[in-house]
Amino acid sequence: MKAAYIILLLSIGPVAVLAQHDKMARIPGGDFKPFLLSGDRRQTIKVRSFYLDVHAVTNEEFLGFVKTNPEWRRSKVARLFADSHYLTQWAGDLDIGDARMAKSPVTNISWFAANAYCRWKGKRLPTMSEWEYAAGAAPVHYKGGRTLTKVILEWYDHPTPVVLPAVESTYKNAFGLYDMHGLVWEWVEDFNSIVGETAAGSDSNPFVCGAGSSGTTNKKDYAAYMRYAFRESLQASFAVGSLGFRCAQDIENPIIVH
Amino acid sequence: MKAMLTALLAGLTLTGISCHKQAASRTPLCCAKEKAVTASLMPGRLAGNASIYQLPGVWTDQHDRTFSLDALKGKVQVVAMIFTHCGYACPRIVREMRAMEDSLSAAQKQDVGFVLVSFDAARDDPAQLAHFAEQQGLDDRWILLHGSAAQVRELSLLLNVRYQRLEDGNYIHSNTVVVLDRQGGIQKTLEGLGPAREAAVQFIGRLASR
Repeated sequence: MKAAYIILLLSIGPVAVLAQHDKMARIPGGDFKPFLLSGDRRQTIKVRSFYLDVHAVTNEEFLGFVKTNPEWRRSKVARLFADSHYLTQWAGDLDIGDARMAKSPVTNISWFAANAYCRWKGKRLPTMSEWEYAAGAAPVHYKGGRTLTKVILEWYDHPTPVVLPAVESTYKNAFGLYDMHGLVWEWVEDFNSIVGETAAGSDSNPFVCGAGSSGTTNKKDYAAYMRYAFRESLQASFAVGSLGFRCAQDIENPIIVH
Repeated sequence: MKAMLTALLAGLTLTGISCHKQAASRTPLCCAKEKAVTASLMPGRLAGNASIYQLPGVWTDQHDRTFSLDALKGKVQVVAMIFTHCGYACPRIVREMRAMEDSLSAAQKQDVGFVLVSFDAARDDPAQLAHFAEQQGLDDRWILLHGSAAQVRELSLLLNVRYQRLEDGNYIHSNTVVVLDRQGGIQKTLEGLGPAREAAVQFIGRLASR
């Protein structure tokens, strides 16, 4: 199948253009109903078509970034942009260590590091709406025929293993994306965009009982509740062991390849 | 202190789940990740008052001059993020900041700057910012900055300002005024539309006379 794909590409001609979206899926635009509403309480948000990496960025891939961008090495990174947990799972600045981790999603990276990686690739972090919309697609051929919610809740119940499983090891969804749930949490560009009910600042945390639940669209969606609560608790410099990322790209913009 | 507050908020966040009646029976399912989250928020991991002027990038001020955040170094800066089409909250924030300015002594004023950064990369171009400055009666001590949407997001993350662009082009946002020391370290964050102004002014004055 893969060979056939390559031959097809060669026969078409503009290989470069298509090849740049290797390992990205084109997500068709559509309406998305956010779990947590704020502000004008609009029920649906329109998500425009975009590209999204089919799997989360791996340790191996992130090593490539760190090699060419020394300011993102563990020993050099500014504390403002990544806390002291940054890449602590690696053996050294340019050494992943445990070979089993090469294909595992990179974690312990801050928002700033994830953002810098995506820019370096000519990409960007997905917005929260894009990510949630893309992650909402049903699994294809998921073993046991479990529902998405069941998959997620089971994952929540298991501690994060020392060596994370490789990417593309859980399930594929209808958009062709792997592991949107069940492997790691993922950074989104605007994770700090949920403003409390009254938009009055710190005393209106939307997740405090009552205040938060009245702003949600589906009170039974515990999995989404956890995801939004987790994002709420983050700061952009935090490096967390169960938090990785993948990159997105606009359809219309030119692509810069490094 | 801030880290502790964050940890506390995280605690509230997570306990919020169990007070959801229907969620209560599900509590065991969420606990493993819950612990992971809480562990990630132990105090002592924040950058402290590392200078936010390390953020690279070129902004434009209300006089259409290019501006790097580094240029704010040397003075105490009182910073807020706003947008000029904002009907209620932003003018109030600006009024609060003006009141702080008015309460400073002449000597202190020399050492304190006021900065407004717009969320609205699309509409708040330098001309619009200049118009807003005039409308609000802001003098030369005030710098109004325009940046790209990506720059604005980065700065908001450093200042811990939350905001969301709505489909009509307006923004909802937390109402935050941040006091930076001469090096660009965050020294105080004032939340809400009615911060304790007198205490804030005393604090700014103390920083300025250091």
